[in-house]
Formats: sequence, C-alpha cells, structure tokens
Amino acid sequence: MEIKVLRNIMKRNEDLATVNRELFDRYGILAINLMSSPGAGKTTILERTIAKLKDELKIGVIEGDLMTTKDAERIHRYGVPVVQINTEGGCHLDANMVNRAMQELEIENLELVIIENVGNLVCPSAFDLGDDLKVVVISVPEGDDKPLKYPVMFREAKACILNKIDLLPYSNFNVDNFTEDVLSLNPNIEIFQMSASSGEGIDEWCLWLKREWERKRQRRR
Amino acid sequence: MHEMAIVDSLFKIINAKVKEHQIKKVVKVKLKVGEMTAVEPMTLTACFEVYAQNTVVEGAELVIERIPLQGKCRECANVFRVYNYNFQCPQCESRSIETVAGRELYIENLEVEE
Ligand SMILES: Nc1nc2c(ncn2[C@@H]2O[C@H](COP(=O)(O)OP(=O)(O)OP(=O)(O)O)[C@@H](O)[C@H]2O)c(=O)[nH]1
Ligand SMILES: [Mg+2]
Ligand SMILES: [Zn+2]
Repeated sequence: MEIKVLRNIMKRNEDLATVNRELFDRYGILAINLMSSPGAGKTTILERTIAKLKDELKIGVIEGDLMTTKDAERIHRYGVPVVQINTEGGCHLDANMVNRAMQELEIENLELVIIENVGNLVCPSAFDLGDDLKVVVISVPEGDDKPLKYPVMFREAKACILNKIDLLPYSNFNVDNFTEDVLSLNPNIEIFQMSASSGEGIDEWCLWLKREWERKRQRRR
Repeated sequence: MHEMAIVDSLFKIINAKVKEHQIKKVVKVKLKVGEMTAVEPMTLTACFEVYAQNTVVEGAELVIERIPLQGKCRECANVFRVYNYNFQCPQCESRSIETVAGRELYIENLEVEE
C-alpha cells in the first residue's frame, strides 16, 4: 500500500527561519549570513568590518564554530556583543541554533547582526537561518573554479567577497574567469575584491553594507 | 555531513505517518531531490540506513528521484533545462532567470506492508 506524504523535508528549519526573519524585521535589524570554506577569511573580514562600522552601527555577532571559541574571542576584543555556537562537529548552522543565539544576544538593542557560519561551502547552503542576505567569501588560494563546483552558495548569495587578493601575484587564479562564472550563476551578485589582512577593499564593502542597512530601515518605515 | 540533519527531519515526518496509520513495516521511501540541492545521494542513503535501524523502517529501500534544474526566463517566459549551472535563456540570451525546478527536497510517499 502506498501512503502519500508530499512534505518538504526542510520545513521544520524553514518555519524557524521565518520566525527569526520576523524578529529581525521587527527590530529593523539587517542580518547577514557569512559563508565560506574554512580559512577563507570570514573572521578577519568581520574584525575589519567591526573596526570600521562600530561607531556608526550597533553590531552583534553570532559565531558558528565546530569546536572552539577562538573566533568569538577575536570578535570580543572589538567590544561588540558576540555569541558563540559550537556545533560540535556539525557542518552548518541551522535556524534553531541561531534563534537561541539571538535571545542570548539581546538583539533588540542591535542594528546589524552578522552570523559567521561554519567553514564549509556546501552544507550551510541547505539551511536558511532567517537572514536578510547571504554573503559568500572565497579566497584566492582556493582557485577560480569554485563557483561552478559550489553553485548553490553562489546562486543564492547577494554578495561575493574575493578575499586574499594580495596573493594574486603568486597564484594562477584568473579573476576574469572567476567573475564570469559567478555572474553566469547569479547576474545580480555584488563582487568585492578584498585583502582583509591589509584592509584593501574594506571601505567599498562597508559602504555597501551600510547602504543595505539603510534600505532595510526604509522598508520598515 | 548535513545529510544527517536532513535524515533526522525526514524521520520526524516518517514517524508521524507511522503513528498516524499504525504502520507495521515500511518497505520503500520515495524522495524527490532537486539537482541544485546540496545533498549527496550516497551519503543520504547511508544516513537513512543508520536511522532506520531497529525501527519499522529497517530494510526499507530509499528511492531518490533527481529533479533536473529548470529555469524560466523573466524576459520571454521561456522555460528551459539549465545545464552546467549556466543561467542564461537559450532563446533570448537574457540572464534574468528564475529557478522553477531543481531546488526540491521532499518526501513523496511511503510504501508499507498492509
Ligand atoms: N594573505 C592573506 N591572508 C589572509 C587574508 N585574510 C585572512 N587571511 C589569513 O587567513 C587565515 C584564516 O583567516 P580567518 O579569518 O580565520 O578565516 P575564517 O574563514 O574565519 O576561518 P574559519 O572560521 O576557521 O573557517 C588567517 O591566518 C588570516 O590571517 C588576506 O586578505 N590575505
Ligand atoms: Mg572564522
Ligand atoms: Zn528569454
């Protein structure tokens, strides 16, 4: 006998993501889901971004990490509220983890929440967190073939940061090919070239973030 | 291995059905999985087998039907198969393409012993 089910397997997560999204909207918070493979530079970008924007925006950070509190400690030094989620081996954050972290963060006092997802280019793309926009970071040493290998992430991102461009002279990374592949997946994506360690490209990125935040504020009014 | 988390959600749905229909044995579980989902069928099947152990689902076959990626052109409304993740309309060359199929991740049905 056959029993019809027809149920979206991800529904539980999607419902919770909707709850998070409504909370972010209620307080007019712009929520960013920052994703990349391990070591592409998410935390370094965060540090630079906070240093640049923390006098203009009230920023809070949710740090996803497999095992340690290292990233959260790095953010803590910048004097912004940060909540650590240890996934204990789990390769992604989900909406439920973020929901708990939001309560701990006391988000009602914040304007910009940045979620650093677990370093992984595949798994996090399957779990909506209730964020406003997804940002994918890719770094030069990873190679220019990554967009087509990890299409889901690039298709859904609103912005893409190409980090570690200071290493371009030592690499065969072809920025034109990379850009073409990213745009074929997602023609409206914003691409930022950056060297988070030197600070190059941080200004453009922060300007864009600020504009996205203002846009969200206006939508709310 | 987020497939574990997906299978966990899948079993919440299956278990609810098992209870509702007082199912004694599940012989087949059919899923529809879009081409552009971050799901690896082999891993999914392995996780499924782990979760099925010592339940009425043990030994059931997991059938995964892959759904091809399809786009719809926002300019000319052409619906077409997207190959190699190249989101461009073959008719008018527009790059403004909506994904209309290929993102599914759902359970279609269960086959059970009466
Ligand atoms: N050369 C160079 N190195 C960088 C740059 N940005 C970050 N790094 C280095 O790359 C390494 C990883 O940086 P993180 O910021 O920790 O990367 P992450 O993505 O947060 O890493 P996980 O959280 O472990 O996934 C560190 O040694 C950084 O100093 C850059 O623009 N250029
Ligand atoms: Mg980090
Ligand atoms: Zn067209």
